[in-house]
Amino acid sequence: MRLRALGLGARLAILMTFAVFFVAPVLWLVLAPTKSDKALITNSPFSFGDFHHVALAWKHLDAFSSHIYRRWIGNTLFYAFSATAITLVAAVPAGYGLAIGKFPGRKLVLSLTLVVMIVPAAALVLPIFLELNAVHLIGSSLSVILPFSFFPFGVYLAYLYYANAVPPSLLDAARVDGCGELQTFLRVALPLAMPIVALVFFFSFVADWNNFFLPYVVLADSNQYPITVGLWDLLSATPSFNPSVGGGGQSVNIFKPELALATLVAVVPVAIVFLFSQRALVRGLVGGAVKE
Amino acid sequence: MASVTFESVTKSYGDGLRAVDGLDLEIADGEFMVLVGPSGCGKTTALRMVAGLEDITDGVVRIGERVVNDLTPKRRDIAMVFQSYALYPHLSVRDNIAFPLKIAKVPKDEIRTRVDEAARILDLEPYLKRKPRSLSGGQRQRVAMGRAIVRQPAVFLMDEPLSNLDAKLRVQMRADIKKIQANLGVTAIYVTHDQVEAMTMGDRVAVMRKGELQQVAPPQELYDRPVNIFVAGFIGSPAMNMLEARIERRDGGVAAVLGDARLDLDGHSFLAAYDGRSVVLGIRPEDLEDATIAGGDGGARLRGRVELREALGSEVLVHFTVAARQAVTEDMRELAEDVGDDRVVGQLADGAQPASATLVGRFSPRTRAVEGDAVEVAVDQQALHFFDPQTGLAIRGA
Amino acid sequence: MASPVFTSEYAGATRKRGPRALRGLPFVLPYLPLLIVFGIAPTIYALDLAFTNVGGGWVGFHNFVRTYHDFRFVSAFKHVLVYTSVWLGALMVFVVGLALLLHGRANKVSATFRFLFYMPGALAGSAAVLVWLFMLDPSVSPGSFLLHHVLGADIFAQSIAPGNLPFIFAMIAFWTGAGGWIVVMYGALNTIPQDLEEAARIDGAGPIAIALRLKLPLIRKWIAYMVILSFATGTQLFVEPQIVQTASFGLVPDTWSANQLAYQLAFRYADFNGAAAIAVDLLMIGLAGAVLIVTRSGLFRTDD
Repeated sequence: MRLRALGLGARLAILMTFAVFFVAPVLWLVLAPTKSDKALITNSPFSFGDFHHVALAWKHLDAFSSHIYRRWIGNTLFYAFSATAITLVAAVPAGYGLAIGKFPGRKLVLSLTLVVMIVPAAALVLPIFLELNAVHLIGSSLSVILPFSFFPFGVYLAYLYYANAVPPSLLDAARVDGCGELQTFLRVALPLAMPIVALVFFFSFVADWNNFFLPYVVLADSNQYPITVGLWDLLSATPSFNPSVGGGGQSVNIFKPELALATLVAVVPVAIVFLFSQRALVRGLVGGAVKE
Repeated sequence: MASVTFESVTKSYGDGLRAVDGLDLEIADGEFMVLVGPSGCGKTTALRMVAGLEDITDGVVRIGERVVNDLTPKRRDIAMVFQSYALYPHLSVRDNIAFPLKIAKVPKDEIRTRVDEAARILDLEPYLKRKPRSLSGGQRQRVAMGRAIVRQPAVFLMDEPLSNLDAKLRVQMRADIKKIQANLGVTAIYVTHDQVEAMTMGDRVAVMRKGELQQVAPPQELYDRPVNIFVAGFIGSPAMNMLEARIERRDGGVAAVLGDARLDLDGHSFLAAYDGRSVVLGIRPEDLEDATIAGGDGGARLRGRVELREALGSEVLVHFTVAARQAVTEDMRELAEDVGDDRVVGQLADGAQPASATLVGRFSPRTRAVEGDAVEVAVDQQALHFFDPQTGLAIRGA
Repeated sequence: MASPVFTSEYAGATRKRGPRALRGLPFVLPYLPLLIVFGIAPTIYALDLAFTNVGGGWVGFHNFVRTYHDFRFVSAFKHVLVYTSVWLGALMVFVVGLALLLHGRANKVSATFRFLFYMPGALAGSAAVLVWLFMLDPSVSPGSFLLHHVLGADIFAQSIAPGNLPFIFAMIAFWTGAGGWIVVMYGALNTIPQDLEEAARIDGAGPIAIALRLKLPLIRKWIAYMVILSFATGTQLFVEPQIVQTASFGLVPDTWSANQLAYQLAFRYADFNGAAAIAVDLLMIGLAGAVLIVTRSGLFRTDD
C-alpha cells in the first residue's frame, strides 16, 4: 500500500511540475499588464498590480502608430473568418465526396492531399508568393485569404469522418426516400457532420490566426498585417529589447506591460474559439439511429 | 401496387465473382415474397438491385411493366427497411417518418395526417417527439417501418429487419409486419437468412445459394418437396438427416440398404433405375419416432444407440447413432461450412466416413430413451426423400 | 416469364454505366482549384525553380551546390537539425510519458491537467515567442532562479547565447505543441480495450509494466504520426528565430535557421532559385524522415 501511495505521489508530483511549466508563463502574461514596467522587474512575477495600469498600458498600445493595433486585430479577424468560411465550404463537401464517391481519380486526389500535408508549408510560401505576384494579387487581402483557405487537413478530417462514422445505409435510406445526391448531402450528411464542421472550423481558424510566415512574406504594408506579424512589428519598435531604438522610442511608449497586453489581447479571440469548440464537439450524434 | 420481375438478372464484379447469377423470378402484385439463403447467397444484392442501390450487370428488372434498370431509387416508387434501420439521428421520430413526404413536396396537412396514421398503425404515437437514440430496438424498427409505409409505395423492400431483435420480440414483429402488409396489400420482398422467418412469413419463399435460385414455392411445398439436397437441408430445423443408402431391387419391390438395416419401400418404384447404386436418403427428424410409442407392426425400422437426449417439453430431440454411412456430397460439405459445423466438416473432410452416422429424431415427450440405451426407431416411409448423389437433385416419381 | 421483348429493348443498354459512376465528384470540385493552385502547383514550381536559373534554363544541381557553399548554409542546417532532434526527443519522451501518466483513473483530475497542458496551444506563433522573451529575461521572469542556475544567465543577452538557442526554441515549440499531442495520445490510449488491461493486471503486471509493455506498443502508430508531422514542421523553423533575432538586435543572425536563410536569399538577394533549392532540401529531409520512421516503426504493417 505504501508503495502505491508513493507511486501516486510521484505521479502527481511530475504532473504538477509540468502543469507549472505550462501554466506559469500564461499566468505571468495575464498579470503583467496590471503592473508598471518598473514593477515588473522589482515586484514578484505573480503579484497583481491594479487595473489602472492595464488601462494605461492599453492607452499606450492603442496610441502606437495611430491605432494600428486595432487594425491588426481587425485584419486577423477578417482573414481568419473569411478563409475559414471558404475552407468549410470547400473542405467538408470534398471530404464527403472522397469518402462516398466512386469517380475516377478519387484515390489520386486523396493521395495528393495527404502528400501535400507533409510538404512543409514554408517550402510552398515562396512559390505561392510568385504565383500571387504573377496575377497581381500581392498587396490585397486575397493574397492572404486564398492561400489560407487551402486546408488539406480539413479535407482529410472530413474524409475520415464520412468514411468511418456515417453508415452508408443512412445515405441509401435518403436516396430511397427520394433525395438526389445534393439533397442527400444537405439534409442528411451535413447535419450529421456537425462535430467535424466544428473541428475543421476550430483548426482552420486557429491555424489562420497564428500563421506568421505567409503574411510576413506577402504583405508589405504594415497596415495590412495580421496580429502575428503585428506583434513582431511592435517588438521591433519597442525600446524594451532594443535599447538603441531610442529615437523612435521617445514618442513610443511601448514597454514590457504594453507588449504583454498586446500579446494577451491577441490571444483572446483564439481562446474564445477554443472554448466554444469544446462545447460544439458533441459526440454520439449518430448513436441510436443505426444499430452497430 | 405492382409486380416485380427479375429477367435473367446477373450482378458480377470485376474479378469475375457473380453475386447474382441469371436470376429469373416473378413476384405477383400484393405477394409477400421471401428471399432466403445463407450469407453470400445473393439475396441482399438482388434486393438492392430492385431498390436501385446496386447496378445491374445483365438482365432486366421490372416493377410493374416498367423496366427500372437505369432509374435512380427515387424514381422507382419503392420503400425500404434496412437491416440497421438507418434512421436519421438528427430528426425526431415524426420528422423521420415525414422525411420522404417532405422530399416529395407533399402538402403539410397531408403529411401530418399520413404520419399520424402510420404512427397509429405502429403504436408509435407516444414517441413522435423523441429522437432515435432514446428508443429501444423494437421501437426503432417500427419507426423504420413507419417511414416505409407512409409513402404508399408500389413495393416494400425489407433487408433482414428483425435480425437484431431479441427472440421474443422477433416473433411478435413477424406477425405485425405480415398483418400490415396484408392490410395494405403492397407487394413485399423480404430478405432473411433465418429459415423459420422465411417459412412463417412468406406467401412464397425463394431459396438462393451462391447467386443462384434453387427453388421458389410456397413454404409447405419447399418443406414437402425440396428440389435438391441444399433446399432439403436448409429448410426445417433440426436439419434433415442425410444418409448413404444403396438401392436394391427385390421381387416386385425396392429396398434401401443402410448399413445393417433394410428398409422395404412401397410405392417407390421410380427408384428401380438406381438398382445397385447409392443414393442419398433424407429423413426429417419429425418423421422419426420411438418405435415403442409409434407402435404398429414391423414396418421400416432403424436400430441405434442413443448419444444425446434434449428435452424440449413438447418433444424430445434424440441423437442416435446407426450403423450406416453419412451421406457426403459437395453440397453437404459446404452446408456444414456455411452453418459453421466444424465437427461435421472435419468428419467429411477425412474422406473415409465412419461406418456410423448420427441421426436426430423428434420423439414424443413420452419416450423413455436415454443416453446409452439401444433404441428402435420407426421411419415414416412415405416421408422419405431421395437424392441423386451426383447432381444433388431430388429423385421423384413421374 | 422471360418475355422475348426485353432483349431487343435493352440489347446494349444493360451495360450502360449508371449515374453512379461519377458520384461524389461535384462535391470535390470546389476544393480542386485550391488543391492545385496552392498545393500541387507550388510544389512543382518549387522543384522547377530549384533546378533552373534566373533565365529559366536547366542547371541541374547547380543551385544546390551553390547554396551548400554559402557560408551560412551548414550552420543553418546544423541548427535546424539539433533543434529538431531535441524537440522530437522531448515530444516522444514527455508527451508519451505524460499521456501515460494521465491515463488511468481519476478522470476529473486527468481532464483538468490535460486542459492545463493544452492551454498554451492557443498562443502558437509569435505570441508564444513573445511570452518566452519575457520568460528568458531574468529581470522579470518567474524562472530567473532556473535561468541563473541552468543557463548561467543573469541578463537577457546571456539567456539567448548561441549555444542555448536550439534548446530554447525546442522548449517554446514544446510548450505550445505538446498539449495538443498529449490530447491525441490520450485519445489513442483510450482506444485500447479495457479487457487487455484487466488481463494484464490479472497476469500480475504492475502499472509501470502495463504502461511500458502493453500501452506503449499499442500506440506505436500514433507516436509515429506525431514524429513524422513534427519532423516536417520542425525543419521549417522560422517564427521563433526571426522574433528572437529582432529582440536581440543583431546578437542572433537573421539566417539562423535554414528557412530564414531561404527567406533572405529570396527577398534580400532576389535569389529565388537558391531559396527554392533550400526549400527542396527541407522537403527532402522531411520526406526522408517520414520514410525512415514509417519503415522502422512498421507503421503500415497490417497484421496487428
